[in-house]
Amino acid sequence: MRPMVRFFLGFLVLQALLFGAELTPWGQRWFVVPWTDTLAAISAGIVKVFDPGVMADGKLLQSGSNGFAVSIEPGCNGVEATIVLVAAMLAFPAPWKRKLVGLAIGIVAVQALNIIRVISLFYLGQWSFDAFDFAHQYVWQALIMLDVLIVWLLWVRTLPRAAPAYAAA
Amino acid sequence: MQDASPGRFVLRVAAWLPLAFLVWYLAGPVLAWPIAFLTEGVARLAFRDLIQGVEQQGHLLTIVSTLKPALATTEQSVTGVISVEVNTLLYSFGLPMLAALILAAREPHSLRKLLLGYAVLAPLVVWGLVAEFLKRVTFDTAPSVAAQTGFGPLQREAIAFAYQFGSLILPTVAPAVFWVLTHRRFVEGFRARDGGAGNAT
Repeated sequence: MRPMVRFFLGFLVLQALLFGAELTPWGQRWFVVPWTDTLAAISAGIVKVFDPGVMADGKLLQSGSNGFAVSIEPGCNGVEATIVLVAAMLAFPAPWKRKLVGLAIGIVAVQALNIIRVISLFYLGQWSFDAFDFAHQYVWQALIMLDVLIVWLLWVRTLPRAAPAYAAA
Repeated sequence: MQDASPGRFVLRVAAWLPLAFLVWYLAGPVLAWPIAFLTEGVARLAFRDLIQGVEQQGHLLTIVSTLKPALATTEQSVTGVISVEVNTLLYSFGLPMLAALILAAREPHSLRKLLLGYAVLAPLVVWGLVAEFLKRVTFDTAPSVAAQTGFGPLQREAIAFAYQFGSLILPTVAPAVFWVLTHRRFVEGFRARDGGAGNAT
């Protein structure tokens, strides 16, 4: 099987498996909910540096001054973006050490941008709900996936060119 | 000769993205027309007993079902049918991302790749729209309405998965996968020329 086809099929299978696991009650209870709550807590911790009234309550990020809150829902918690990155790196032919290092750095990079997404939406929503809606539903979704793609491309760049992995057609 | 410098590529993507989003948003009704046509086709082929028709208003589609509402209201009498409004933009926001990536890569045949990308992604947008319709009539309506669909437990699970996959994964992943597949040479150009330690496993 051609390396490109093998990578593509491996990516699809891994992604389907990980996404399926995420949707199970077990995956939600033991992974997604704690992940999302942690994301809200980290976001609140950062915002508190310059806006002390902000607090996190579960998956909610809430303003103490005007009561505005954003709820971090599926699609906004970065879990799916992380799944895509994990599937892309694991499916790509590379030494395991490089995969693990790539995953560690890549997940942090994706989540860092996701925290910026949550915080920016939190303030955007307090300014204009229309702007919040557009950024939330369209722009940030695309930006996060671009982040995943760029992280993956940068990781691919660190791999040896001679590896019989990804021959250009 | 392609420019595979990651920094410059990212800057070019960032430069194209606002324009791509603007064009995509303004062209929403035009881009939605083939999608409405495809959705109608899928409805007629696969859900003839559930969907009467599809109507387009700008970037919004109204999928008219054959299901009767549970109660008469001032807006919808019991003699009417359930209609579900779906937003094509919610499932097509990967198009401007794809356009920015294609234009930033500066590879030959950009226009052809853009058109091909739209042709490939349009059916996936239809997936999202139909899955949302099915999810809403199955899970977000009164039990008496949901019962009319005749879906069993396994089908309900499949609808839930199709909806989640169609809304959380496909809109963003499909454009990225399409771009990688159509820019293999460009991606290969990203690899360090001097290589690195270790061999592929």
